[in-house]
Amino acid sequence: MSTSFDARRPPQREVLDDCVHCGFCLPTCPTYAVTGTETESPRGRIYLMDLAAQGTIGVDEAFGEHIDSCLGCLACVTACPSGVQYDRLIESVRPQVERNVTRSRADRLFRGLVFALFPYPNRLRVAALGGLVYQRSGLRALVRRLGLLDRLPARLRALESLLPPVTVRALLARTPERTRPPGAARLRVGLLAGCAQRVFFGDVNAATVRVLAAEGCDVLVPRDVQCCGALSVHAGREDEGLARARATIEMFERYRLDVVVANVAGCGSTLKEYGALLADDPAWAERAAAFSATVRDVTELLAELTPQAPRHPVAARVAYHDACHLANAQRVREQPRAVLRAIPGLQLQDVAEAELCCGSAGIYNLVQPVTAEELGQRKAANLEAVAPDVVVTANAGCLLQIRRFLDAGIPVLHPVQLVDASIRGCDPV
Amino acid sequence: MPTTRFTPSDVDELRAVLADTTASHPRLLVEGAGTAATTGGRPDPADAVVDTTGLSGVLRYNPADMTVAVRAGTPLTQVQAELAGQRVAFDPARGRRGATVGGLLATADGGPARQQFGVLRDLVIGATVVLADGTVAHSGGHVIKNVAGYDLAKLFHGSLGTLGVVAEVVLRLHPLPRHVVTVAVPGPAEEATRTGTDLLGRGIEPAALEWTPDSGLLVRLEGTEEGVLARAGAVEAVGGTILSDDAQAAAWAGVDAVADPAAPGTTVLRAGTLPSDGPGFVATLAAAAARAGADLAVSSGVGTGVHTVALTGGDHAAVLAAAHAAAGPAVTVLRHDGLDPDAPLWGPPPAAVALLRAVKQRFDPTGRFGAGRLSPWLAPVRDVPATEGVPA
Amino acid sequence: MDRVALQAELVAALGADAVLTDPVSLRAYECDGLTGYRVVPACVVLPRDTAQVAAAVRVCARNGVPFVARGAGTGLSGGALPVADGVVISLQRLRAVVSVDPVNRRAVVEPGVTNLDISRAVAAHGLYFAPDPSSQQVCTIGGNVAENSGGAHCLKYGFTVHHIHEIEVVLPDGTVTTLGGPAPHQGGYDLLGAFIGSEGTLGIVTRITVKLLPRPAAVQTLVADFPSVEQAGDTVTAIVAAGIVPAAVEMMDALAIEAVEAAVSAGYSRDTAAALIVELDGPPAEVTAQFAEVERLCHEHGTTKVHVAPTPEARAAVWKGRKAAFAAVGRISPNYFVQDGVVPRTRLAEALTRIGELADEAGLRVANVFHAGDGNLHPLVLYSEARGEHERAEHLSSSIAELCVDLGGSLSGEHGIGTDKACSMPRQYDDADLATMTLLRRAFDPDDVCNPGKLLPTPRLCGERPGPHRPHPLEAAGLIERI
Ligand SMILES: Cc1cc2nc3c(=O)[nH]c(=O)nc-3n(C[C@H](O)[C@H](O)[C@H](O)COP(=O)(O)OP(=O)(O)OC[C@H]3O[C@@H](n4cnc5c(N)ncnc54)[C@H](O)[C@@H]3O)c2cc1C
Ligand code: SF4
Ligand code: SF4
Repeated sequence: MSTSFDARRPPQREVLDDCVHCGFCLPTCPTYAVTGTETESPRGRIYLMDLAAQGTIGVDEAFGEHIDSCLGCLACVTACPSGVQYDRLIESVRPQVERNVTRSRADRLFRGLVFALFPYPNRLRVAALGGLVYQRSGLRALVRRLGLLDRLPARLRALESLLPPVTVRALLARTPERTRPPGAARLRVGLLAGCAQRVFFGDVNAATVRVLAAEGCDVLVPRDVQCCGALSVHAGREDEGLARARATIEMFERYRLDVVVANVAGCGSTLKEYGALLADDPAWAERAAAFSATVRDVTELLAELTPQAPRHPVAARVAYHDACHLANAQRVREQPRAVLRAIPGLQLQDVAEAELCCGSAGIYNLVQPVTAEELGQRKAANLEAVAPDVVVTANAGCLLQIRRFLDAGIPVLHPVQLVDASIRGCDPV
Repeated sequence: MPTTRFTPSDVDELRAVLADTTASHPRLLVEGAGTAATTGGRPDPADAVVDTTGLSGVLRYNPADMTVAVRAGTPLTQVQAELAGQRVAFDPARGRRGATVGGLLATADGGPARQQFGVLRDLVIGATVVLADGTVAHSGGHVIKNVAGYDLAKLFHGSLGTLGVVAEVVLRLHPLPRHVVTVAVPGPAEEATRTGTDLLGRGIEPAALEWTPDSGLLVRLEGTEEGVLARAGAVEAVGGTILSDDAQAAAWAGVDAVADPAAPGTTVLRAGTLPSDGPGFVATLAAAAARAGADLAVSSGVGTGVHTVALTGGDHAAVLAAAHAAAGPAVTVLRHDGLDPDAPLWGPPPAAVALLRAVKQRFDPTGRFGAGRLSPWLAPVRDVPATEGVPA
Repeated sequence: MDRVALQAELVAALGADAVLTDPVSLRAYECDGLTGYRVVPACVVLPRDTAQVAAAVRVCARNGVPFVARGAGTGLSGGALPVADGVVISLQRLRAVVSVDPVNRRAVVEPGVTNLDISRAVAAHGLYFAPDPSSQQVCTIGGNVAENSGGAHCLKYGFTVHHIHEIEVVLPDGTVTTLGGPAPHQGGYDLLGAFIGSEGTLGIVTRITVKLLPRPAAVQTLVADFPSVEQAGDTVTAIVAAGIVPAAVEMMDALAIEAVEAAVSAGYSRDTAAALIVELDGPPAEVTAQFAEVERLCHEHGTTKVHVAPTPEARAAVWKGRKAAFAAVGRISPNYFVQDGVVPRTRLAEALTRIGELADEAGLRVANVFHAGDGNLHPLVLYSEARGEHERAEHLSSSIAELCVDLGGSLSGEHGIGTDKACSMPRQYDDADLATMTLLRRAFDPDDVCNPGKLLPTPRLCGERPGPHRPHPLEAAGLIERI
C-alpha cells in the first residue's frame, strides 16, 4: 500500500484503526459545531488521514485545510469511547502538512509573523509597548472609528483585538528568581514563566509565586528567555518545537526541583508531552520522561497540597471555563474546581456547553479567525448566561479570547489570582 | 343494502373471496361487529359486504413474551377474556358491545387508557392485510421491537375500510395491574387541566386522566397496592376523593356512555386539541350546543387533549361546524344519527391530503373499498381545494 | 446528469457555502456508521432551513437525480450511504430548538438537533425526550425519526414513533407538507406512523414536534451478576412474569463487560459471565415496592452479586458503560461488526446458545450486549482485518441475523435495514409483503429518487434470488467498495 505521507513519523496505522467511525466525538468538536461539515470533525479528519495513509487522497492543500482548521483542543479525545489517540494523530500529521503542502504567500507571511513574535518575550514586549501606545494614544479608537480595521484582513484584526489591556507596570514587572516560603519549605518548585505569558500576564505569575510560597513552596523562576515550544508543537513546526523542549529541560534540570509548575495550560500540556515527543531520541528519551513526570499544573499542585495559608472569603459568583489544554490534554478538571470551592464565600456556577472550546487553542484564533470568532461569541454567551461576577480560566489564550468577546464589565482571571486574593484578603479584581 | 355477504373464516378464504370477485363484485363494504357502522362517513352502496366476524379467534398467545396474535374479527372482549393475568391495555367504549380488534384499528378508536398506553396504533406489533386484488401482505411480526420494513399496521390505522381488509393482528400485552384505584377531583375543565398537568409533572403516572362535567377529574391509578395508595394520597391532597369500587365502575361507565351512548338520534364526535386548549374547546362547543338547542355530554382526556362529545336534541350541524372550525382535520364523527344525511362529516382536509389520495390510489386503484368513507378527503383532487403541495 | 451542471444548479439554489464539491470533502461523506459500504456522492449540500432543503430536493427531482438525507451519520445499516452520482443532503445546519411548550409537554425542533440536546433544552422544565439510543449524544432527531430509533428505556416508554406529534416533510418532489398534527387524533391514515421508520425513503424531515415526558419521580438501578447468560435470561422472564414493566432491562456478557471496563471503568465486575442491568422508574412508592421484588427474583435465579447504584452519579456510570459498549469493543478487537436482531424474549437463551455455536464454528469471538427486556440482541462479531477474518466475520454476522428471523424474530430491532440488510428482507417477508410495502413507497416517491436502493431489495442490487452472503452487486459493478 503506497501512502501519501512522507516517512517522517506518519500517523500510526494502529491508532487510525482504533476509530470505529461512531461519531461520538462530533458534538464536542468546536469546528464541527460551527460548520456542520464532516471534514471539520474529528471523525472526518481521521477518515481523511486514513485515506491519505492509504494513498487514496494526497497530502495537498485540500487535505491540509482540514488539518489546519483543527483547534487541537482535544475535546474529541475526551469524548471518544474507543480510545482513539487523536492527539498523537494530529501531532504527526501537522508536521506532514507543514512540510508537504505549499502554502499561499499571505499565509506563510502571517504564520511567520506569529512565530517570530510570540515565542520571544523581548520582541513581544516591544511589540506590546507599541501596542500600548497604540491603545492609550487614542490611535486605537481612531482606527476603529474610521473603520480601518474592517479593511484589515480578518487575521490581523484578530491579532489587534487580542491585545489585552496592558499596564506599563505589568509589562515591566519581572518575577524574582527565587521566593522562599514563610516557614520551612515543603517542596522545591520551579515555575515556567512562559513567553507570551510573561509579557501579558505578569500579574498571574506574581500571584502564582505568592500563592505557592504561602503554601510552603520554595519557588524558583528561571530567568532564561525560554519558550517551551508549545506553540510550535501545536502548529506542526516540529524541529523548532523539539529544540525548545531540549533547552527547557536543560534549563530546569539546573535547579534540581521536586515539581515543575505551569500556570498556562497549553505550556503545561506540552511540558508533560516532552517524554513522548523525545521518545525517539536516544540521548534525550529518558531525561525527557523524567522531566515530564515532575510537571504539574498549578491548580493540580494546589489541590495536592493540604492548604496551610488561611483563606479569606471572596464573595463572588464564578464561572469556570475549562481550558482545553487543561481539561482534555491534561485531564485536569476537578482540581481547579476543588481549589476554587475551597475559597469561602465563592459560588461556582455550571456553564452550558462546558466542553466546547472557546476558539483560542494555541494560535488558532490568529490563523482561523472566522471560526474562532463564532466560537468565542458562543462561549461568551454561555458564560454570560450564568451572570458571573468573574470568569476564571487557566490558560493565557483562553483568557485573551474570552476577554475579547465577554461583556467588558466581567473580569477574566486565572484561578490562582482568586486564590491569591483569598489568601491576601483583598479584592481580586 | 347489498344482498351478498361474504363471511370468510381465515386469511385464505378472505384472499380467495377478494381475488375471485373483482369482476362480479367490484365494490365492497367491510364490516365487523357493526358497532361503528356510521363512523367517518356514509358508505356508498356496494356490491357485497365482507363480514369479518367469521375471522375470529386467538391464533397464538405467548404469555411469557406478552404477545397475542388474533384474527381481526375477534371481539376485543373475547381477546381480553382469553388472557391470563394480562391485558390488551386498550379500553374503547365500543369494546363492551363486541367491537372487533380489526374494526377498532380501522376506526382509530381509543379509550381513557390512551393516557398511558396509547391506542391500537401503539399496541399493534404485526398485521396481515388483504388488498383489493387478493394480495396478502404482512408487516411487523411477533416481537415488540422490530423496525424491518414499513409498518403497514400504522397505515391501516384510521383507514375506515378504504385500503383493504385487516385480517390478522398481533398485539403487545401488558400485565394486569394488581391494584386499581380511581380518585375523583371535582371542578370545572380549566381546574381539571391545571390539576392534571400538575399531577403529570409530579410523576404520578396516572393510567387515565379524564374529565367530565359530572364526575370532575377522574384519576385512574394502577400498580402495586402500596404504590397506588401512596399516589392516591397525593391526589387526595389536591382535593380528590378515592372512589369505592362501585363508584369507580360507575364513573368510568359514565365516560364510556359519552362515546357510545344508548340513546337514539345521538351524534358523537371526537376531536383532538392541545391539552391546554381543551377547556376552551369544550366551552366553544358547549356554547354552540346551547345556541343550537342541543344537549351536550363531554369527556376530555386532560393529559392527551382528546375530547369525545355526544349531542342529543337540537341542531347538531352547527356544533360540528364549530368543532371543525376549532380543531380542523382532528375531528371524527363517530356517529351521525342526529345529523342530516347530507351534512358534511369531515372538516378541512389535512395538509397531506394529496398523500392520502396517493396512498389510496396505490393500494386500491379501482376504488373497491369503502366508497363514501373518509370522503371528501379521498375524492379526486379537483373536488377539494388541497392545502398541501405548496412549494416552499 | 452532468456532475458539474448539477453542482452549479445547486450552488445557484443554495449559495456556494452550502454546497461541497471538492473531491476530498466528498470522500468524508462516503459512508455512515457502517463503514463497510462506501459510495462517493456527486455533491453534498448543507441547507440552513426548510426552504433550502426543498430547493435542493427540487433540483434533484427536476433532474431525476437521487438524493440521500444524512443526519449525524451514525446509522449502522448504511441508510445514509450516498447513491452514486447522487446528492447527500446533510441536515447538520438545521439545529435549532424552535420552541418548547412545557404545559403541553412538547417541543418543536429542527432535524439536526441531537437526541440528547432535546432533553437538555427542556431539562429546566423537568421534562425529557424518552427514546434514548446509545448514540443519543450524537445522533439527530431526524435520524431517529427515520430509523424509529429506540434505546434501553423503550421497554416501558416505547420507540420514537410513540413520541412524535407532528413532522414537517419535504416530499421527494420538493413540496412541503406536514404529517400528524399539533393535536392528537388527526383524521385519515396514520401517515405519520408509516413515515417514522421509513429510513429516509419517503422524504426529508425538516421539523419535528416531539412529545416530552416529565422526569420520573424516582429511579432505581441495579446491576446483578450471574454465572451464566441463561440464568440472567431466566431472571428477565421472571421479572416480566411478575407483572413488572421495568424502565430498562439490559444484559452484557463477559466479553462486552471486558470492553466496557477497558473503555470507561464503569464498575462492572470483570469476573462474571453476565451482568443484568435493571432500572425501575416512576412514582417512588411503586418503584420501592417493585425494586425489592426484582432484587428477590435476581437472588432466586442465582445472582452472585447485586450492586444497587446508590447515587445518580453511580447510575450515570452504569449507563455510561452500557452506552459506550459498541464503541468500546474497539478496545479489545481491531475490527468488529455490530449486529442487530430480535428474538421473542422467551427464546433468548436458545438464541445465545446458537450464537455461541456459530461463533465457535467460525472460530471467532462474539460479545453480546442486548436489550433483554424486548429480545433485541446486539451481537458484536470481533475479528481482525489484518488476519484476513473479514469474510468469515461477515458471514457469521449475517447468519446471526438469519437465526433471529428463524427463531420467530426480526432482522432488525433498531438499526434498520438500510443498504446492509435490504437483500435479506426476503428472509422475513414474502414477495407480496414487499410488493405491498413498495406501494407505500411509490405513493410518496413515484420516481424513486429518495434514498433508492435502501430498505427494500431490488433485483439490481440483490439479483434474482436475494440472499445475504453473496457479494453485493454494487461491488461487482464497481459502484461501491467494501473493505
Ligand atoms: C455507537 C452507536 C450506538 C447506537 N445505538 C443505537 C441504539 O441504541 N438504538 C438505535 O435505535 N440506534 C442506535 N444506533 C444507530 C443510529 O445511531 C440511529 O439509527 C440514529 O437514529 C441515526 O441517526 P443519525 O442522525 O446518525 O442518522 P444517519 O445515520 O445520518 O441517517 C440514518 C437514516 O436516516 C435518514 N435520515 C437522516 N436524517 C433524516 C431526515 N431529517 N429526514 C429523513 N431521513 C433522514 C438517512 O437517510 C438514513 O437512512 C447506534 C449507532 C452507533 C454508532
Ligand atoms: S474518534 Fe472515537 S468517537 Fe470519534 S468517530 Fe472515531 S471512534 Fe468514534
Ligand atoms: S482537537 Fe478539537 S478541533 Fe480538533 S478535531 Fe478534536 S475536537 Fe475538533
